[in-house]
Amino acid sequence: MDTSEGTVIGVFTCEQCDLSSPYTFYGQKPPNTRAIVLLEECYGMRDPFNPEREKFLVLGSKCCLCKKTVCVGTECSIFYTKRFCLPCVREHLEQFPEQIQMELAKKKTAKKM
Amino acid sequence: MCDKRGDTQEWDWGSPQCRAQLDEVFFRQHDYIQARGAEHAEFWTFFERFQRFKAKKEMAGSREGKARKKGATGAADLGLPKEYDPRYRINVSVRTRDVEDRLEGSRRRTPTGPGSQEIAECRLALLHFLDFTQKQSFGKLVKLRREQRNLPIFQYRDRILDLVRNYPAVVVAGDTGCGKSTQVPQYLMSSGFSHIACTQPRRIACISLAKRVSMESLNQYGSKVGYQIRFETSRTPATKLLFLTEGLLLRQLQQDGQLSRYSVVVVDEVHERHLHCDFLLGVLRSLLSQRTDMRLVLMSATINIALFSSYFGGAPVLQVPGRLFPIQVIYQPIPPEEQASRSEKLDPRPYLRVLQGIDQRYPAEERGDLLLFLSGMAEISTILEACQTYASHTGRWIILPLHSTLSIAQQDKVFDIAPPGVRKCIISTNIAETSVTIDGVRFVADSGKVKEMSFDPKAKMQRLQEFWISRASSEQRKGRAGRTGPGVCYRLYAESDYEAFAPYPVPEIHRVALDSLVLQMKSMGLGDPRSFPFIDPPPASSIQTAITYLKQQGALDTRGELTPIGRLLSQLPVDVVIGKLLVLGSLFNLVEPVLTIAAALSVQSPFLRTAQHNPDCSTARQPLNSDLGDPFTLLNTFNAWVQVKGERGGGSRKWCRRRGLEEQRLYEMANLRRQFKELLKSHGLLEEGGQDRVSAEGRAQRRERLSERQRLHQLHREHQLQEGRRRKVLRLDEGAEGPSSGSDTDTPPSASKDQEGAANSMDIQEVKFKLRHNVSELREAACASADMSSRQTALLRLLLCRGLYPQLALPDEHNATRKDSEQVFHTRNKQGIVIHPTSVFASDPEVLHVPEHESSALGAGKEESSKHQLLAFVTLLETNRPYVSNCVRLPVLQALLLVADSVDSNADCTRLVLDGWVELGMADAEAALKPLSSALTLRAEWERLLQAQLGHAGPASTSGLGFTGPKPARRELDKLREGLVRFLLYTEVNYSLKRLTGLQAQNLYVGPQVGHSELTLPPLFPGMQSEPDPVKGGLRITNYFTYNCLCDSKDLYSECLRTFWSCPHCDLHMPFTPLERMQHEATCRPAEEQQPEEDPDTVKTAASSSLTRLYHCDVCNKSLNLTSTEILRHKRQHLA
Repeated sequence: MDTSEGTVIGVFTCEQCDLSSPYTFYGQKPPNTRAIVLLEECYGMRDPFNPEREKFLVLGSKCCLCKKTVCVGTECSIFYTKRFCLPCVREHLEQFPEQIQMELAKKKTAKKM
Repeated sequence: MCDKRGDTQEWDWGSPQCRAQLDEVFFRQHDYIQARGAEHAEFWTFFERFQRFKAKKEMAGSREGKARKKGATGAADLGLPKEYDPRYRINVSVRTRDVEDRLEGSRRRTPTGPGSQEIAECRLALLHFLDFTQKQSFGKLVKLRREQRNLPIFQYRDRILDLVRNYPAVVVAGDTGCGKSTQVPQYLMSSGFSHIACTQPRRIACISLAKRVSMESLNQYGSKVGYQIRFETSRTPATKLLFLTEGLLLRQLQQDGQLSRYSVVVVDEVHERHLHCDFLLGVLRSLLSQRTDMRLVLMSATINIALFSSYFGGAPVLQVPGRLFPIQVIYQPIPPEEQASRSEKLDPRPYLRVLQGIDQRYPAEERGDLLLFLSGMAEISTILEACQTYASHTGRWIILPLHSTLSIAQQDKVFDIAPPGVRKCIISTNIAETSVTIDGVRFVADSGKVKEMSFDPKAKMQRLQEFWISRASSEQRKGRAGRTGPGVCYRLYAESDYEAFAPYPVPEIHRVALDSLVLQMKSMGLGDPRSFPFIDPPPASSIQTAITYLKQQGALDTRGELTPIGRLLSQLPVDVVIGKLLVLGSLFNLVEPVLTIAAALSVQSPFLRTAQHNPDCSTARQPLNSDLGDPFTLLNTFNAWVQVKGERGGGSRKWCRRRGLEEQRLYEMANLRRQFKELLKSHGLLEEGGQDRVSAEGRAQRRERLSERQRLHQLHREHQLQEGRRRKVLRLDEGAEGPSSGSDTDTPPSASKDQEGAANSMDIQEVKFKLRHNVSELREAACASADMSSRQTALLRLLLCRGLYPQLALPDEHNATRKDSEQVFHTRNKQGIVIHPTSVFASDPEVLHVPEHESSALGAGKEESSKHQLLAFVTLLETNRPYVSNCVRLPVLQALLLVADSVDSNADCTRLVLDGWVELGMADAEAALKPLSSALTLRAEWERLLQAQLGHAGPASTSGLGFTGPKPARRELDKLREGLVRFLLYTEVNYSLKRLTGLQAQNLYVGPQVGHSELTLPPLFPGMQSEPDPVKGGLRITNYFTYNCLCDSKDLYSECLRTFWSCPHCDLHMPFTPLERMQHEATCRPAEEQQPEEDPDTVKTAASSSLTRLYHCDVCNKSLNLTSTEILRHKRQHLA
C-alpha cells in the first residue's frame, strides 16, 4: 500500500447524491493531527488535493436522526452542533434557527430557478 | 474584558512578535498546521480577512440583534442551541488546553503574551480557517466527480468492466472527448486490477495522462499512478497503473516475453497505426494465447474498428459517442490561379480570406481562435509572413507558428491567451492534429495537405513528400474546432476532393525502413519476419531490404541469425549505424567522444533553425564549428555546454540562448549518452570506471555531495508538487517579433515573460540534470574529448565513416567551379544531392575541394591528387531536393580501402574500383600497391580485434554463441590504432577519382575465367583461401578484395608485371608480382616486432603460425615449413 495514503477501509458513498470515494479513517480523530478533534464520527481520507501528507479531508458522516450516510456537501447535509441530512432538517425546520431556515429557503428557490 | 490585562493596548495583531506568541499555542512543531509552513502564512492572511469580516458583521449585527430569536419555542427535542452562532456550523475543534494552562501560569508572573481573549479569537479564526480549507478541498472533489460523471464514457463503465472480465481482448472505440484515455484505466484500477500498463504513442501523453489520472483517482501526491518514458519514470513498487510508450513496452517484452509484470495491457490510440503499435499488437496477440489470465484493451477513435476486432478473433467492440459540439463545414477550394505549382511558394490569398471572413462575420468580442493546418515548415513561414502583415494592419490577430523544430518555449506560446478582442491564429503542421491539443479553438482552416516520410529502399533514402490527407485526418482536423463550443471548419479543397481522399492514412509500417523492427523481432525470437502475422503486413520486399541491410551491416549472419554485434544493436534504442559507431568506439580509447556523438546524432539538432540567420548567433556559434564535420561541431557544442554547466550551473540557459541552441536537446543528449554508457558497460564493452575516484574522494566531499543531492531531491519534489506552467496573456506583437529578434538576446522585448516562464522550467531541468549526472565526471570526459589530438580526431572520423558506411557521398568533380550554394554530391544510388544548409560544409564548401596547386591535370576529369575527400553522412532526406545532413569528411582512398565492401583491382593494382561505383587510378604502380597492401593488413587486424572484443562481450556471448575469446590486448589495440592513424594521415599517393556510370559499372569485370583454376595462390592471410571469383573473374583474395578482375587486366603471371622491390623490413630485394608483394608485406614484420617482449606463450604460437606454414611445392613435390618470404624464394628457384 502506498504509505502516503493510509489503508483504505472501504468506500464511502453519500446516500443523498451518490458521491463516492474510498475512505481511510472513521471516527473523531483523523490520524496524525495532534490537537484536532472532530465533533462527530466522520468518514475521511488524506486530503488528495493537498501536497502535505497529514492533511485530512472529511467526506461525510451519519445523520444524527435518520442515520443515513451523507456527505458534507451543502446540498446533502448541514452541521449544526450535529450532522443532519437535508430531508431531516426540512422535517424539523422549526427547531433550527432562522439563519438556517433562510438558507434552506434560498436553496429551494435557487433550485426552482 | 480589557481589565483582565492592563496592557491590552500593547497587543497588536499585526506584529510578528504577537503572532509568534500565538504560534506557540496553535502552530507548534507537531501541530496540524506548523509555523513557517505554507498553510501557516495562509492562515494569517485568512485571519486578517476574518477579523475585518467580523467587525463588519458586528456593526450590522447590532441592528439584527433585536429582530432575533422567535423560532425556537417549539419542542426542543433536537437539543439545538437557541442562539445561532456560526461556530456551531463547524464540526472541528482544536484542543490546546495543555499549552494554555502553561501560558496561564507564566502570565501570572510576567504579564506579557496573549490573554485568553486573544487566544479565543485566534482559535475561532483557526476553526473557521479549517472549515474553509475543508470546504475548498471537498468542493474540488465534488467538481471532479461531477466532471467524471458527465463524460460520455461514464454510462459504459460497468459494461466495459464486464467485457474485460469476460473476454481476453476488448476494443473500446470512442471519439475525441469521450474520456476513454483518462477513464478506462481508472475503471480498471478501481475495480481491482492492479498491474495495469497503458501505452501511448507519445511520451508527452504518458506524462500528462499520469498526472491527470493520478489527480482524478485522488492520488495526486502518491504513486499509484505513474509513467515511464525513455529517461524518466515515476514508477514505484506502489504503482498500479503505469502509462508508458509503445516502444518501451516492446523493450520490456524483449526482456520478459511473458510480460508477467502486468495483468492488463491497455493500448491507446491504436487507430494511429504507428510502427511500434502495429508490432506491439502482433506480439500481444500471440501472448494472449499463452497467458490466459492477461487482459488486453484496445482503445481507438471510431476508425476502422472492424480491423482491430477481427484481428483479435472477433473481440467485442464497445462504441462510445464522443463529445463534440456541432461544427459547420465550409468548402472553399483554392481557385486554379492561386494554386502554387511545385516550385512556387504557396499563395497566401486563400488563407488571408479565411482571416478576413472571420473578422467580417464574427464580432471581435466573441472569443475563439483559429487553427490553420499546413503541410510543412516552409509553407508555414510563407503564410505566417502574409498573415502577420494582415495582423499588424488590423490589430485583431496574433499569429503563431507551431511545428516540431521550434524551441520549446516557442511551442508553449500557443497555449497562452490572446488579449480581449484579439484572436490567436496558430499555423501548424499536423502536429496539432493529434499530438498537441489547444483549447479555445473555434475555427479550423485545413489545407488538406500533409508531408509524410516515406522510404526509398533502393537509394536507402528517406523522402518527405506532400500528399493529400485522408478522410480520417480531415475529420480529425475538423474536430479540433468543436472541443469547447460550436465551431467552423474551412476546408481549402472541394467536397469532391474530400470524397476522393483515402479513407485512412497509410500505416507507418508501410512507409518506413524496417531495419530496427526486424532487428528487434530477431532478438525477440519471433522467427522469420516475413511470416509474422502483422495486422496489416508490410510488403515482403521492404522486410527483405531490411534483412539484406542488416546482413550488410553484420548484424545478421548469412542464415539470418543475430550476430553478437546484432544482439547488442537490438538493445540500443537507436539506428543501426549509430549502434555500430558505439561498438566501434568501445574498441579504442575513444568511448567518451563517441558516446557524445552517438547521442547527438540520435536527438533532434540543438541548433535552432530560426537562429541561423541571426548574425549574433552565428558569431557566438563560430568557435563551436568544426570544419571536420557536423558531428564534431555537435561534440564541441556539448563539451562547451558541459563546461558552462560545471562553472555556472543555471547560467547555461543564457549561454544557449546566445548561440541559438535549444538546451532541452542538450539535456536529452546527456541522458542518452548515459544510457549508452550503461548499455556498453552491461555488455562488457566498457570497463567499469570511476571506482577509484569515489573511494579516493574525501569524506567531507562525499558528505557535501550527499547533502547537495538531498537539496536537489527536495527541489525536485517541490517542483512536482507545483502545478504546471500557467497560461499567460499574449502581447499583440507577440507573433510579429522574430523568435530570436532583438540584437541583445538577453533582453528582447518579451524577455521578462520568457525568462520568468523559462526560469521555473529551467531550474527544474538543471535540478534533474544534476540529480542524474555526475557533473564533474561529465566535465572530465568533456575536457578529455575537447583537447583531442589530430590523431584522435582522425581515428574518430574513421570510426564515424565505418559506422555510417555505406552512407557515403562524393563531391561532384566540378564543384570547385561552382557557387557555394550549388555544390553537388553523389552517392552510389542517388545523384545530385545537396548539403543541408545547417551543415558546416554548406557554409564552408572549400574544405572539400581539391587544392588546385596540388592536383596535376591529366586531361579532363583525370586530375590526380592525394587530397580527394568524401563525406560520410547520417541522413539522406529528400524534400524538394535530396539533402544530406550531419556529414564528416575523409580522404577518399584511405576511407574506402578501409571500409568498402568490395575492392576490385586490375593486375598491377593501378586501377581500383570500390563498391562498384568509385574508380581510383594511379599512375605510379609502385606507389599504388603500398596503400592497398597496408589496408588489407589493417582491416584483417581490425576485424580480428573487433570480433575478439565482441566475443568477450558479456551476457550476449555467454547466452548466445558460447564462445568467449580473450579480450584483445591493449598492446595490439594500440598498434592497430597507430596503424590506422598513420594510414589515414600520412598516405601520400596521387590518384585520379571517377564515378562510374551505370553502363561502365556493367562492363567492369572480366568475368569467370575457364581453365585458370590451377592458378591458386597460397592464401594472403592464414585461414583465408584465395580462389577465382565466380562472377567477377580474377582472384578473390579476401571477402572484399578481388584481384585482377577488372576488364583491362593483364595476365596474372605475365613476367612483365614483376618489378623489383625491396622490402623495408627484411631487406629482400627481388622482382615481385603485385600479389606476391602484398603477400610478403602481410607476413613480413619489422625486425623489432618479430621478437616482441610480451607474454612469451602467445608470442610463440602467434609467431609460428603467422610467420611459417606448411607449404607443399608441386614442382619438387615436397612439404616444407616456410615463411611466406621463403616460399617466394623457393618458387623463384623453380622459375629461374
